[in-house]
Amino acid sequence: MASTTRSNGGLWARLTAPKNRGPLLVAPAIIVLFVMNIFPLLWSFGLSFFNYRANRLKVPEFVGFKNFERVLTDEKIWDRFQTTAIIVASSVTLQLIIGFALAMLFAKHFPMRRIIMMLVLTPMMLSFVSVGVFFKLYYEPTFGLLSYFINFFTTEPFVLLSSSTGALAGIVIADAWMWSPFVMLLVLAGLVSVPKYLYEAAEIDRVSPWRRFITITFPYIKSLLLLAILFRTIETFKIFDIIYIITEGGPGSSTESIAVNIYRMAFQNFRTSRSGALAYIILFIVIVLTNLYLYSVNRRAAEEDL
Amino acid sequence: MKLSRIHKQTLTACATAVLATGLSTQTYAADVTITMAAPDWPPTRFMKEHFDKTYKSPAGHNTTLEMDFIPWPSFYERVAASLTSGEQKYQMIVTDSQWLGSFVEGGYYMDLTEEIKADPELMAIMEDLHPALVSAYSTYPHKSREQLEAAGTAIAPDTQYYGFPQFPDTYVTFYREDIFCHEGEGAAFKAKYDATFPCTYEDWQDVDWERYAQIGEFLKRKKGEMLAGETLEDDFYGISYQAGKGYDFSSMQANAFIWQHGGSIWDETKAPEGQAEGVVNSEASVKGFEHYLSMIPHMPPVAKTGQMDIFVTQELYMQGKVATTIDWVGLGEPVLDPKTSKVHDKSAFGPAPGLRKEDGSIDRTGNIGGQPFVLTTWNSDEIVKEALNVVKWWLAPDTQLEAVANGGQSGLKSVMADPTYNDLRPWNRAHVEMIDWQKDVWHIPLFFEMLTQQQEEFDKAITGQQSAKEALDAVAEFQQELLEDDGFIE
Amino acid sequence: MAKQREIGKAGWGRSLFAGIVGFVYFFPVLWIILTAFKTRTDALEIPPKFLFSPTLDNFRSVFFRASISSDSSQATNFILYFFNSIFIAGTAVLLALIIGTLAAYAFSRHPLRGNDTYLFIILTTRMMPPIVVIIPIFLMFRLTGLAGSYWGIILLYTAFNIPFSVWLVKSFFDELNPEIEDAARMDGSTDWRVFFGMCIPQIYAGLAATFVFGMILTWNEFLFALLLTGVETRTVPVAMARTLGGEVGVDYGLLAAIVTLFLIPIFFVTFLLQNQLLRGVTFGTVKK
Repeated sequence: MASTTRSNGGLWARLTAPKNRGPLLVAPAIIVLFVMNIFPLLWSFGLSFFNYRANRLKVPEFVGFKNFERVLTDEKIWDRFQTTAIIVASSVTLQLIIGFALAMLFAKHFPMRRIIMMLVLTPMMLSFVSVGVFFKLYYEPTFGLLSYFINFFTTEPFVLLSSSTGALAGIVIADAWMWSPFVMLLVLAGLVSVPKYLYEAAEIDRVSPWRRFITITFPYIKSLLLLAILFRTIETFKIFDIIYIITEGGPGSSTESIAVNIYRMAFQNFRTSRSGALAYIILFIVIVLTNLYLYSVNRRAAEEDL
Repeated sequence: MKLSRIHKQTLTACATAVLATGLSTQTYAADVTITMAAPDWPPTRFMKEHFDKTYKSPAGHNTTLEMDFIPWPSFYERVAASLTSGEQKYQMIVTDSQWLGSFVEGGYYMDLTEEIKADPELMAIMEDLHPALVSAYSTYPHKSREQLEAAGTAIAPDTQYYGFPQFPDTYVTFYREDIFCHEGEGAAFKAKYDATFPCTYEDWQDVDWERYAQIGEFLKRKKGEMLAGETLEDDFYGISYQAGKGYDFSSMQANAFIWQHGGSIWDETKAPEGQAEGVVNSEASVKGFEHYLSMIPHMPPVAKTGQMDIFVTQELYMQGKVATTIDWVGLGEPVLDPKTSKVHDKSAFGPAPGLRKEDGSIDRTGNIGGQPFVLTTWNSDEIVKEALNVVKWWLAPDTQLEAVANGGQSGLKSVMADPTYNDLRPWNRAHVEMIDWQKDVWHIPLFFEMLTQQQEEFDKAITGQQSAKEALDAVAEFQQELLEDDGFIE
Repeated sequence: MAKQREIGKAGWGRSLFAGIVGFVYFFPVLWIILTAFKTRTDALEIPPKFLFSPTLDNFRSVFFRASISSDSSQATNFILYFFNSIFIAGTAVLLALIIGTLAAYAFSRHPLRGNDTYLFIILTTRMMPPIVVIIPIFLMFRLTGLAGSYWGIILLYTAFNIPFSVWLVKSFFDELNPEIEDAARMDGSTDWRVFFGMCIPQIYAGLAATFVFGMILTWNEFLFALLLTGVETRTVPVAMARTLGGEVGVDYGLLAAIVTLFLIPIFFVTFLLQNQLLRGVTFGTVKK
């Protein structure tokens, strides 16, 4: 493979030479991301060291780390991080459980499977806005289906969103309902790829179902499952529309996530620089968490290989 | 207030330049396009339709009014992003009055003071506009109605003017005639509270908060009970008003209670001496806010979630779940539409209740709603002139009467005094009565930060997480620090 | 090629059980679809109306809206918005899939120095709340004239989809056995033939899954569409917002009608690619 003829020496040949092939193939992705994502991110990173507010004419002054300091010492922000962590942890866990159960359900061929599965896949094709609006309606004590059904058993109107716990539950349910199918699909992609003869071999060896799952099935779904956790965590961390529509962060501030907070800071309060600082702190936290996660995943993989 | 001073100078300089060149420019016919950012709803849709039908440029231009209709829920984001990015796309903008400070200080909204002074027609319009509207919709830094009236002229000295009413809004009481004019219910109410069950407009003029609370208690019925001679298929409630966490959906009503009890919000016209601490959480303010909270237990269960915003109360009313609601005139039209409302033929409108004073009269001080429209700062003289012609066209009595007939509303005293006005829409009489009582919240650029924090603290009180006093203490402390930081309090 | 993997079979019992689960899961969507055929007062009726006289009024108002001052009605441009949504999302996801697959192949087969770092940086672009980059992007779009154009929003959505495409497709490439590819090269196959003839066909399912996921994540994007599309390039989610408030609160019927119509294309894309999706990764040989 290494025996490349450099005789014609043209630019194209040099570009496509095997040792350059990696960079060449990665380049388009990096270029698009740089222009559309990284550059604006750096821009707001720069701004986060000034005291810029988009609704003032005053020339921004350089203030160093003041914005970071201000954000990090704000109790409210830590409170929002906590709320976000609760929502992410419960929603992703719920998505994994439901997604996994659904995947097991659909892991075999049965009549009408394709059609029935489409029923389950539909929720994630809806927009956040419509899910928010309709779940809010379902939870509404006077017009809502939920309180209507619960009213068969009680006489008092059922008001889910009146307590912090209820409101958090309402949001987690809507979000998990929407995205469990995503986890299901990824798990399913792994499940159906397990070669059948492995199961046949297991049957001959009289392996218990649990053992069979751990030793045969799990290795096939593992990498996709881990990817599902990674992406769902990242996406849920940004949860905004569902909260903004269902509870507006209420009652009080009990469901106000960090994304809702950053939206208010950046767009309503025009603390442009401060919101940049907060965004970078978020990014830092997510990067650390993701690294920890990837590290533990990789280490376990390495252990298994030994 | 350093910022605004610098800014005032720049803008005055600009305005003078505009005036100087404007005078020397000869009039000639041209194609003029004015792009206007407008929320997507009937009052602005009508403006566009009526413009296309009737507008003739006095300058002989071929003028197009290009309206960028943006859905209400994303209107603020779209406008804010467009302005702060420097896109300079819009020549005119429909705006909430509270946004004035943000976008004037940002250099986006044009100071029209000199233009108005130089134009007798515009002067006449300012003269004819209700002073509460001029105060709330046009002045920045904000001047109170009293300050403007004390000046005695249409254009007060040391005051900058920016906007004109696009849709002036007040809240009024929507009520069910079939219930309130039901004889049996009326007699029962009389027997229980020794008071008139309000049926006519005149009856409603005498309804104060005490009576309103009694209505709430009286009409709260369970499923299966009787109401106005019929068996109820669902729980029923007597009263409702806004108590939602979103945007300004509790402050607008809570402020009314605070003002009526003699309390105050932070008063920007008194800056930089006016304090927040001790004013916002004064005894009177706390009493007012407690009064606001005291009625919520009588309201439909959604009130417990802190989500009972202006649309939810409207929806509950239109679906026949509640007997009255206090809501914006701008949300009145669907109530009369059989497609959206089950009570379209049973509804009438009265003034919003208020607090009975010692002399027996009722104080209805309320928080104004609605939107002015403004010009932006980056337009050529020609566009500015033509945009002002559009302003004159819109605020001409004919246009205004037509707008009122089509779901709009007018702020011109002459139009509201027109003999046909009261009969054009069923809430007009109440609107005229209410408009005299209107004040406005803050207009400074920190408005949104103050509002969001206040809404959050109010929401905690509404959902029972803290007391009225705790809420207002938290609001006062936050505002004091925020405003001191920015030099609005010294 | 190695033999096709077969998954287990189950009978009608499983169908019944899955059907019940599916129905319960689908119920909130079903309710939205039913709402699309209801009048506003019916939509909010309690007890909930399962039987009602259906109306097509909501669907009519998707395409036409009544004038305020006369009896005429105006077209709402919904068909254009619908086309825009399909065109913009389709092109962007396809572009992201192509660009992402190339990068994923490189990351899997021709690791760069600091391979993992690059992969990670690509992932981080997906972590930021989009609101933070709105102002710079808005400015950039205005300066370059991309605001309001198809290419602007398509490029943005492409960037938006690349991280996911790269990571997902890479995980599929990683499952393939490179020894087979090396063997093919020994036999004289060019790298292009190995890539297109061997690797790509083996991960069709993965590509289909990535495309579907990309479509699902892009189809309903709202914030960037609101701020960066013009009147001509507006997408359905932006137009949908008009049903959320104005002179009434949410217009449930109209919203439901738009949601229902907007569900159709993405539903069929998913349905058509479902076979691919379910075939899973068919490995060329035993997992490495």
